[in-house]
Amino acid sequence: MTANMQEWANQLCENRQFGSKMTDSKYFTTTKKGEIFELKAELNSDKKEKKKEAVKKVIASMTVGKDVSALFPDVVNCMQTDNLELKKLVYLYLMNYAKSQPDMAIMAVNTFVKDCEDPNPLIRALAVRTMGCIRVDKITEYLCEPLRKCLKDEDPYVRKTAAVCVAKLHDINAQLVEDQGFLDTLKDLISDSNPMVVANAVAALSEIAESHPSSNLLDLNPQTINKLLTALNECTEWGQIFILDCLANYTPRDDRESQSICERVTPRLSHANSAVVLSAVKVLMKFMEMLPKDLDYYGTLLKKLAPPLVTLLSAEPELQYVALRNINLIVQRRPEILKHEMKVFFVKYNDPIYVKLEKLDIMIRLASQANIAQVLAELKEYATEVDVDFVRKAVRAIGRCAIKVEQSAERCVSTLLDLIQTKVNYVVQEAIVVIKDIFRKYPNKYESVIATLCENLDSLDEPEARAAMIWIVGEYAERIDNADELLESFLEGFHDESTQVQLQLLTAIVKLFLKKPTETQELVQQVLSLATQDSDNPDLRDRGYIYWRLLSTDPVAAKEVVLAEKPLISEETDLIEPTLLEELICHIGTLASVYHKPPSAFVEGSRGVQHKRLPGSAGSGESVESPESGSTAVASGVPPAVIPSQDLLGDLLNLDLTPTTTTGPPAPSSAVQMGAMDLLGGGLDSLMGDESEPPPVPLRTDTHQSPQPPHHSPSPPDYSPTELGGDLGGSPAMTAGFGAPAAAVPPSFTAPVSGGLDDLFDLGGGVGMPMGAYVPPKMLWLPAMKAKGLEISGTFGRRAGVVQMEMTLTNKAMSVMTDFAIQFNRNSFGLAPAGPLQVLTPVSPNQSIEAVLPLSTVGPVMKMEPLNNLQVAVKNNIDVFYFSCQYPISMLFVEDGKMERQVFLATWKDIPNENESKFQLNDCHLNSDAASGKLQGSNIFTIAKRTVEGQDMLYQSMKLTNGIWVLAELRAQAGNPNYTVSLRCRAPEVSQCVFQSYEAVLKN
Amino acid sequence: MYVCFGSMMISQVFILSSKGDRLVYKDFRGEIGSEAVTLFYDKVTALSGDQPPVVMTHKSIHFVHVWQGGLYLVATTTAADSSPFAIIEFLNRLAALIKDYCGALTEKTVQMNFALIYELLDEMLDYGYVQSTSCDVLKNFIQTEAISSRPFSLFDLANVGLFGADTQQSKVAPSSAATRPLQGGKSEIFVDVIERMSVVMGANGVLMKAEVEGEVKVKCFLPSCSEIRIGLNEDFSIGGSQLRGYGAAVRVDECSFHPAVRLDDFDAHRILRLSPSQGEQSIMLYRLADHLPLAPPFRLFPAIEKDNAGRLLMFFKLRCDLPPKSTAVNVSASIRVPKGCVSLSQELSSPDQSAELQPQNRVVVWNVPRFPGGTQLSAVFKLDVPALTSASMMEVGPVGLTFELPKVTASGLHVRFLRLAPMQHRGPAQRWVRYVTHSDSYAIRI
Repeated sequence: MTANMQEWANQLCENRQFGSKMTDSKYFTTTKKGEIFELKAELNSDKKEKKKEAVKKVIASMTVGKDVSALFPDVVNCMQTDNLELKKLVYLYLMNYAKSQPDMAIMAVNTFVKDCEDPNPLIRALAVRTMGCIRVDKITEYLCEPLRKCLKDEDPYVRKTAAVCVAKLHDINAQLVEDQGFLDTLKDLISDSNPMVVANAVAALSEIAESHPSSNLLDLNPQTINKLLTALNECTEWGQIFILDCLANYTPRDDRESQSICERVTPRLSHANSAVVLSAVKVLMKFMEMLPKDLDYYGTLLKKLAPPLVTLLSAEPELQYVALRNINLIVQRRPEILKHEMKVFFVKYNDPIYVKLEKLDIMIRLASQANIAQVLAELKEYATEVDVDFVRKAVRAIGRCAIKVEQSAERCVSTLLDLIQTKVNYVVQEAIVVIKDIFRKYPNKYESVIATLCENLDSLDEPEARAAMIWIVGEYAERIDNADELLESFLEGFHDESTQVQLQLLTAIVKLFLKKPTETQELVQQVLSLATQDSDNPDLRDRGYIYWRLLSTDPVAAKEVVLAEKPLISEETDLIEPTLLEELICHIGTLASVYHKPPSAFVEGSRGVQHKRLPGSAGSGESVESPESGSTAVASGVPPAVIPSQDLLGDLLNLDLTPTTTTGPPAPSSAVQMGAMDLLGGGLDSLMGDESEPPPVPLRTDTHQSPQPPHHSPSPPDYSPTELGGDLGGSPAMTAGFGAPAAAVPPSFTAPVSGGLDDLFDLGGGVGMPMGAYVPPKMLWLPAMKAKGLEISGTFGRRAGVVQMEMTLTNKAMSVMTDFAIQFNRNSFGLAPAGPLQVLTPVSPNQSIEAVLPLSTVGPVMKMEPLNNLQVAVKNNIDVFYFSCQYPISMLFVEDGKMERQVFLATWKDIPNENESKFQLNDCHLNSDAASGKLQGSNIFTIAKRTVEGQDMLYQSMKLTNGIWVLAELRAQAGNPNYTVSLRCRAPEVSQCVFQSYEAVLKN
Repeated sequence: MYVCFGSMMISQVFILSSKGDRLVYKDFRGEIGSEAVTLFYDKVTALSGDQPPVVMTHKSIHFVHVWQGGLYLVATTTAADSSPFAIIEFLNRLAALIKDYCGALTEKTVQMNFALIYELLDEMLDYGYVQSTSCDVLKNFIQTEAISSRPFSLFDLANVGLFGADTQQSKVAPSSAATRPLQGGKSEIFVDVIERMSVVMGANGVLMKAEVEGEVKVKCFLPSCSEIRIGLNEDFSIGGSQLRGYGAAVRVDECSFHPAVRLDDFDAHRILRLSPSQGEQSIMLYRLADHLPLAPPFRLFPAIEKDNAGRLLMFFKLRCDLPPKSTAVNVSASIRVPKGCVSLSQELSSPDQSAELQPQNRVVVWNVPRFPGGTQLSAVFKLDVPALTSASMMEVGPVGLTFELPKVTASGLHVRFLRLAPMQHRGPAQRWVRYVTHSDSYAIRI
């Protein structure tokens, strides 16, 4: 209850108390019912003032969420008044309750219509505005006439309100708006003499255009653009935003037009409203892409963009933050705009932390040789601040400066050393992490600092810092006299370390061993056995085994692999991926620019989800070249690692010198036995000079291997994979090496089976091979939790007339899985395996295997619920597991499902009407021909096509494997993404499934 | 194909009290239910200090809000292309309009004037598109009379010269001339020059960064205002001219004006002409960096040492370099101290000063209520820091200063005259010109 209501209620009580003698029971009658009753009386009072007060009270109750809909008739009765204030209040009430009381709302219609003719333009506008807000279908038809008049009203205030009303009406009943020709009237209003009317018409049209993506409602051509630019100078700031945003969607024909639009937009940059400024910046950033860089005007424009962006930073922190997020994007795209403005991004001590972090990010992006001294001085100050997150980021930023500006590296390193002297724990750790990156970038330059770093070994308690320190010790083991002692000290608590540290320690000790083999033999054996025998972590075990194997078979190769030259790390970090950046630049000033995510990533539903691109440059080609182009080179620059090509797993087991070589499934337990042996005895000799080992063979690559992600960042979360890559060629590659037996799937299936190719194949269905049947993406059918570590995901497809089940079996357990078999329960269409499940080799832990099972449709039949449900049992050496899955019925559509036209016609008529099911297919943006082509790929055949009044009707047929025919009529309206599918079938229960297939095929 | 630009599609606007009570709630597009109010309140109260509060999301609903006068002014939208700038700007205007109409933006005034606010919203937004936020335009449509929380009295005016301490917190409204509604009252006009100063000074007293952001505001209580003319310093110049003479010409780097300001006489005579609408508006914004005409107002001479007892000693001399007739008020220095400080003892040079240790923030706050120009204060702080090392000495500083300089502009900008066009029906209006400089961020490193 608002205080207002409270006061009023108190007053009531007081009046009663003083006015009459009351009993206690009466005292408490201000219940809800009593309130409503009193309000009713007041609403029906003769006195205008009293009425007005009563309506106000009603609205107060409404605001706090009380239900006062019971008063609807009484409030509506107050509507016919010449008091504008009272009228407005009544309209306010109506808007809120009309939807829940549609029948009552009809009562008000007459007054609406009458008010639309009122001599007072305020009342006309009020009526037309409110009518549109009453989202009651029944009312809309009464709206049309008054709206038509108001769209042509002599008063611009009424016209601008009517323009918006068209958008409102369109949302309720789009067809009506089109039929009534309101869209054309709206288009005419773009040329209205009043800029406010133009702005609202543009706004309304663009919103309507959004639900008709193919219509040319808001046709942007040089003439309309000119009109908009003229209106830009005259309309209110809010109208300017509409128009600027609209301009941003236009693509100029050439650089000249681009320049002339830029020239006319530039004055907006000095507007006091920051939203206007940002919208103007968006237009300019976009159109600048088309200007040749050598043009004088291009330089002028760059200069003009800086001051307004700087001015945005004097706003309150919330706006500042939004501005900084946008500037961050702009700086990544065009760093030259703000290169002289470094100072404005210096952090103020009283900025909120989220502003500080954002400023710091921009500072690094702007750091260059010219300003590095200033930046470093600032960063050093920040590193002594209070806020831990900020300090960490500042320390990290110093490292990034060193990597970015080579000339500053030395100064950065000494700054970092100063900071390490403070002994502030998190500063030291952060500094060590970045120094490691500096070592990567400038090898063999700053090793003198290692001694200082080593002093702080004990204070490191964060995994990242520990890992970095260990990496440094390993990398420079030959220069650190007590490297073995240092590493050994870490080894004591090996199992308590995080994986990151364990992996790093393993690698570092192997490096140390390769550099100083004589003294560290014991250490390396210790770490190898810790990693391989006592660890549950497959990555660690894998890496341990690889090293072990490498060292024991070919120490020279081991040296080449482990001590290989590392790829350089890239200068820029945390860059937004270029295509995303382009898209975000098109969304400057919007929510997307604050989240740094494309709108499609956070919007549900259809509104505004469309990828935008910057226009290409008309001038030199190099203009789109951005500084980050070097990063891909880094990814491909990973040197090919070398390991022997024999079956490693088998060999490793054979290494076991004791004659316990049992055949059968290799199990990790057998590795335990070899721990005690001096495996490295032979290896050590060869390391000392014996060159008679077989030459290394390049690592075989397998289609299993997912491509390594391009490496952008030297920042620690990323460094360990690269580190691995440099050392070993990447652990995924190794797994693939071990997993080589996966290739033992029957050759006939290899192409569609092996993971990578399979994806390509699916893609081909949509792009390269329009005729291919639709295969849904794989779904998880059996989670590993439920099946003792066996995970099955899969899909169904029809390939070359054969129905098949395609599965990925993943072993997430600790032991090897063998002896797979599969069986189906009886099902609706008699699906049954046409052969045994082909998993010929054992599936070792963490390995995935692709299996394809051809299916027949002659198995036992039982009707399932849902119809396309399939219950499956899978057996392996561990247990039997059950799961159920659903297949797309389209895989059962046979190739000879095309009916003769005459037969179709006759059958259609023959099937009773009640067997027909109608479905609505929404958001399908194909035209009817494309749809027909797509459907044909899935054996849904178009027999005839008719076009009536712009509506395409496709007549289609399909036949199921069990001989059931399904007939379909597909209606598509050009420009309308909603299709209507009518299905007729003698077995109507399949219709639902058939429709689902339609949906799946057309939407993929 | 055109993508909709939803930059302005505001779905709902609501005003909540700090306790989450709905004071005003209006739905413009019928896309989101009223449960958004509770959703918002739950989200905003769950925010931690270091999360940017600007936009919050729940599924497809985006909340944008400003916090003013102890109230949440919230707008929701479902359009991804919505511009948070536009929405924040809109909400700020809404707040300003409520202030203009109702005299102040408080829970009470909003409650008393909800009908008026609904009416305002109805004219400001239609179907979520912003229509107008100009007081002049809106007053043609608004029927409801404002209810003022207290009658306007001269007493209010007596206070206006002293920009209250509360304005320190909100940069948005450093001068609320008088909290009274537009309607009624006497005819007056205020021109305020408000500047905010950011300074970073190095340990050696070198000025590392100096920046002034200024604003000229007009608050107009004239019933019908024709043109006013505001004369600025004649030597006022915009942009960095290379030929800066020895004279202290008033110069700014950038300057922008309200679109309503006519600049016909600006180039020749530095006169701004405008017909102000009723209420408050900012007519000129400017910025000046690095080359300030005067020395920065405060300098600090620190000395930090460790005494025999292992305590941290900090000697500070703070000098106010303002001209002698000016005085700084509400000066407060927060001195960052090493972590682990347990207690403080201090010697201050005059009794009206005070100092306290705030261990959780790691600062010593030294307050000086009045600080006349040309004078100097000194202070000795003794801090007990267990385990004081030489590294923790490095943790001392920077010192942040907050202050107000009434009747001073750091840029030197002055209003030479304020002339009103002769008014037909009423006597002469009262004219007020006020100046103040606030600290925005004044940091001295040690």
